[in-house]
Amino acid sequence: MSRVGLALALHELSERIRDRWVLVISVLFALLASGVSLYGRIAQADLEALTGPSLVTLTALLVPLVALVLSHDAIVGERDRNTLGLLLSLPVSRLEVVAAKYLGRSVALTLAVVVGLGAAMGAGGPSGLRTLVALMGPTILLGLAFLSLGMLVSACTRRQITATSIVVVTWFLLVFFYDLALLGILVISDGAVSQQTISSLVVANPAGLYRLQMMQVFAGPELLRSLGMTVALPSPGTLGLLWTGWLVLPTAASGILLAREKVI
Amino acid sequence: MALLAGPNGAGKTTLMKVILGLVRPDSGSFEVDGAPVSIDKAWKRRIGYLPEAVTFSDNLSGLQLLRFFARARGVDSKRVDAVLGEVGLGRVRRRAVRSYSRGMRQRLGLGLGVAILAKPELLVLDEPTAGLDQEGLTLLWRVLAEWKEAGRLVLMSTHDLALSERRVDTIHVLREGRVLVKGSAGELRRKAGSTHRVWLDLVDSEAEARRLHDAIRNWGKGSMSLDRGQLRVEVSADELLELMRIQGDFPKAVCGLRVEEPTLDMVYEELLGGEQR
Repeated sequence: MSRVGLALALHELSERIRDRWVLVISVLFALLASGVSLYGRIAQADLEALTGPSLVTLTALLVPLVALVLSHDAIVGERDRNTLGLLLSLPVSRLEVVAAKYLGRSVALTLAVVVGLGAAMGAGGPSGLRTLVALMGPTILLGLAFLSLGMLVSACTRRQITATSIVVVTWFLLVFFYDLALLGILVISDGAVSQQTISSLVVANPAGLYRLQMMQVFAGPELLRSLGMTVALPSPGTLGLLWTGWLVLPTAASGILLAREKVI
Repeated sequence: MALLAGPNGAGKTTLMKVILGLVRPDSGSFEVDGAPVSIDKAWKRRIGYLPEAVTFSDNLSGLQLLRFFARARGVDSKRVDAVLGEVGLGRVRRRAVRSYSRGMRQRLGLGLGVAILAKPELLVLDEPTAGLDQEGLTLLWRVLAEWKEAGRLVLMSTHDLALSERRVDTIHVLREGRVLVKGSAGELRRKAGSTHRVWLDLVDSEAEARRLHDAIRNWGKGSMSLDRGQLRVEVSADELLELMRIQGDFPKAVCGLRVEEPTLDMVYEELLGGEQR
């Protein structure tokens, strides 16, 4: 990345950590995560088996929201403020602008996740380096995937209010509605839709993939099988590909869209 | 220093954006000193830009914002403080931009566009006078005068033609994406055929005044009216010198003289009106 790109990434980071909305939602996440851990400790619950999954439920809801709030105005916000032209008049390519914005916001998001989950662990949540990595890694990937989606929404829209509306709907659809819809399909189809199709559909959604991955961490494959859960976690290679796809493709598409725009 | 003028939708901003690579034209070419230019990073390094009605991010202070542009343009960050002082924002440099007035934000933009951006060869300013208070306007013209003296180029658009006419070298009047007319303010007046108004205060000596009046009437150019000892003549720029020569033939007929040039706004109206007719 060029000097201008790096300067922009730093600028983005600096701006995001001062954004009141991002601060509010990150603090809320940290408080709720700490609350879940504290409750688990007071109730003397099995840390790995109960507090962990509760934290996962919380992160699966809030981390995509933090990511979408962080990214939805990346391009359209500049357009709204009439600063996109000013930014693109710098000696930097349009693709680099998108990459720098994604990079700066990714660091801000990673900080929010690390602080939030760190607070939860400090409050008595899952401990140990292995658990920490197993929880934080996919949580950050989940956030980056939604950050990437937010970038795409931002590049596709002309007004920030439109982008805000779209990301709210996206969050609702992918985080709440998607699993319910799959369940509905499973019930209504009465076995007509294959298990393989359902498995593929689950992992096609980053929120679904994250939940599945976390279930493996905190419940283990044997417990899941005993509970009748037959959706299997993809192989590490496929898992890597899926996450890479979610991280890279929407951001790359936003870069291409911006680069192809004839009139800024 | 060149000025782009024209009604809304004439293509002023579009032309600027073509130069900046923000609009890709369907056809045509873009040349500098007769050589075609490709809009790449090297070209962008030569240009500074201040868009119209820019709203900077509310989360940062003026200092943080300028530091980013300084880093992006490879300018020493020590210069940032000096520039903020220069644009009159030294005392509020650590305050969030959201607390700045519109004029202060424009001055901040001026800092970005003019002073900080590595002193580019060409400065492109879209409506830089909009929202500026008198202090801001004085600052803008001072900075642009220094810019011009240093041999750098400025391309700007503005609706405040009267403010700009004594400061710019060339004015390009655009209409529907093409240059309707171009030239200095004087040349534009001539092209528009705008009339100069001349008031001649006649002396009490009626005979001399009558002779001047008759001489101008016999000359047969322009239009003339006499009201309470004051002769008002409307002539074109080319006829003005001849009128002065006629008046010079009757030195004792006049005790006062006032010439009113048509304002650039009037010239602009006439040019656009003429085109419409």
